[in-house]
Amino acid sequence: MPREVVVTGLGMISPVGKNVADGWDSLVAGRSGIGTVTRFDASDYEHPIAGEVDDFDPADYVDAKLRRRIDISTAFAIASAQEAVADAGLEVNAERPGAVGVLLGTGIGGGHLMVEQQRILDEKGPRRVSPFLITSMLPDTATGLVAIALGARGPNFAVTAACATGGAAVGEAAETIARGEAEVMIAGGFEAPLQPIFYAGFNAMKALAVHEDPTQAVRPFDQDRNGFILGEGSGTLILESREHAEARGAEIYARWEGAATSNDAFDMVAAAEDGRGINEAMKRALDRADLTPARIDYINAHGTGTPLNDRVETRAIRDVFGEEADNVMVSSTKSMHGHMMGASGAVEAVICVLACKHGIAPPTINYTTPDPDCDLDYVPNVAREASIEYAMSTSVGLGGHNSALIFGRWGGD
Amino acid sequence: MDTPRVVVTGVGMMTPVGVGRDASWLSLLEGKNGIAPITLVEAEDLPSTIAGEVTDFVATDFLNRKDARRMDRFVHLAVAASDEALEQSGLDVHAEAEEIGCMIGSGIGGIGTLEDQFHVFFDKGASRVSPFLVPMFISDMAAGQVSIRTGARGPNVNTVSACASGADAIGTAFEVLRRGDAQAMITGGTDAGVTRMSVAAFAASRALSTGRNDDPEHASRPFDLERDGFILAEGAGTLILETLEHAQERGAPILAEMVGYGASADAFHVTQPSENGEGAARAMRVALEKADINASDVGYINAHGTSTPLNDKFETMSVKTVFGEAAGAIPISSSKSMIGHTLGAGGAIEAGVTIMSILDQRIHGTRNLIVPDPDCDLDYVPEGARDVPIEYAVSNSLGFGGHNSSLIFKRFSE
Repeated sequence: MPREVVVTGLGMISPVGKNVADGWDSLVAGRSGIGTVTRFDASDYEHPIAGEVDDFDPADYVDAKLRRRIDISTAFAIASAQEAVADAGLEVNAERPGAVGVLLGTGIGGGHLMVEQQRILDEKGPRRVSPFLITSMLPDTATGLVAIALGARGPNFAVTAACATGGAAVGEAAETIARGEAEVMIAGGFEAPLQPIFYAGFNAMKALAVHEDPTQAVRPFDQDRNGFILGEGSGTLILESREHAEARGAEIYARWEGAATSNDAFDMVAAAEDGRGINEAMKRALDRADLTPARIDYINAHGTGTPLNDRVETRAIRDVFGEEADNVMVSSTKSMHGHMMGASGAVEAVICVLACKHGIAPPTINYTTPDPDCDLDYVPNVAREASIEYAMSTSVGLGGHNSALIFGRWGGD
Repeated sequence: MDTPRVVVTGVGMMTPVGVGRDASWLSLLEGKNGIAPITLVEAEDLPSTIAGEVTDFVATDFLNRKDARRMDRFVHLAVAASDEALEQSGLDVHAEAEEIGCMIGSGIGGIGTLEDQFHVFFDKGASRVSPFLVPMFISDMAAGQVSIRTGARGPNVNTVSACASGADAIGTAFEVLRRGDAQAMITGGTDAGVTRMSVAAFAASRALSTGRNDDPEHASRPFDLERDGFILAEGAGTLILETLEHAQERGAPILAEMVGYGASADAFHVTQPSENGEGAARAMRVALEKADINASDVGYINAHGTSTPLNDKFETMSVKTVFGEAAGAIPISSSKSMIGHTLGAGGAIEAGVTIMSILDQRIHGTRNLIVPDPDCDLDYVPEGARDVPIEYAVSNSLGFGGHNSSLIFKRFSE
């Protein structure tokens, strides 16, 4: 029998707030965290829009030596892991260091140092390249560093599945506990895509939203949506076996109910029009959780704001939920924090946990003109109080990756 | 529900010693060297000018031109290795697409594409950067493209744990099958890290051998006293893992059974292994426990054996920690002595090698082990291939960041 897995700690650094409390307040208030790009000189772009974490200083989280050696994406990961570990009151037991593992995902990994190092390589030669380049660019450096900081010696690796990364990482980490291989997993996703070359790459894909007012640029499910906006940050969950959490008297936020990943097997960029990939992940997650669609009260959708994604996702929800589709609240918080790539699934998992705990569904902002192809209850513009027994988070990524996660309200039973 | 047994029904390999499984395996048995001067990029000014390249690999033998152009070399290699493994297993993916998933690990993804695009960016400006940069660079694209190509729609991610990436992908796929989330998995690892930035960066981290650029034949020398670092290489390895029931129902060839997987973290240092190989020992122990066998049941260990001074010493200690007095009786060899270090592909290629060893009851030797190191005093099979009775075999992978992963395979019997 798989063991029960609960959530005992949360960390979130995002464009809507540098910690869980500030972020949740912004989301419930419907406040956008989207603005103009300041991370690099983007003046060549007509609409340089992004979701940046304001006033983020890695020095607040790591010492000066380490700060110089790691990518900002890794700093995001460490910062939100610290918040989650503190929130959970977690201490790694020196006698059982292998009981705590770390599984953090990122879509891109660290690229900031690479640009600079590429110039050094080109101009000064290979022998001048930094000895820290390798660890700054490998996507799994954050999992290693979080483990080192805590002394957590359990299962340790990163997961990548493009924009479905965070959800996939949280799901795989939960399964590690469910099968008894760890008692606690520090799980999540992080990303820092606001780098000139990646911004240029996404811009070349013609996938980025364009709008005169950055705060109105991301308009998931709205008729006038025209793309997504890149965001940065990190989300972390402390997942724990129920037994372990109760034994140490930890406060429990919610129960992890199930997860699944799937692939469209269709195209490296576009989602399959019939939603056949994401619907597969949703169905499998429901199976794993042993729940019927009618039990789900809230879906935190992938909802990027691209014309194709939102239409396909709506169709997939209709396909999986049937008549129940009209009774489930569906919102895209990307309307406020943007598309945080590999961090999205994890940040949205944090949001689902909070939605269950507080009984509030955060809204989809910038929803003004209904699209006949997107005809669900998107919780438009204003947060809604409602009892949320079960919440689902869905993510869809380049390369056809999909993930779905389900959390349940903690009632102590 | 009983936990399903998991078997291997296909192996694919693209390595510096052979384009394909059988070619690679024969080369390894013959003790053939795969390390040579770098040809993929300009290397004259690099600290290390030699590497293991899959020299006769032609992407368009496996892919049409248009698809090939939109994939990085690490994806080309993975697609080719997956084709080979699928062909051997005879698995019809389209017939049950939802029941078949794909997990292919990669340590550094499309770094070659990124370097090319950096130059476009520097020389021609942001507006000329390719729309395919992101989808070609991100490291999950091997799993993504193999799914698109084969139609596999089940569980699908990429695991990244530096040099243990491929092994963790296989371990994760194994667990997916054991928990009933799929009936078959296309799994493995791939990396195409023979690029200027990658060589320069690994050299700067002092992990690469730089002392034998003029003697590539003898540069990768795991467990030898005169080893001075690893040799960068590229390649891909894939397995078809399947539940026993599923494999038997369709009458598939069963090459071996997979019985154990353990992962651990050193929680010690970003680039150095933990003192005494403590983390590696823990991964092996977890895998042995899961396999429910004693250390003395193990007939062969395919070592991580990178040829760096620290790795080989600590790995030796970790084997002694786990196997105690029996350690000296277990034959251990390092495929990296011939292939070099293929980064995220290493664990997967070596899993394939371990399975071939079980099938043939024959193991390859460790090449270039000429001067014994008193700190590495186990049986590394220096003389070359040897016939060995193997019931259980272990494949170890250890990565930068302190990731350790151990896989256990068993000779198949009902």
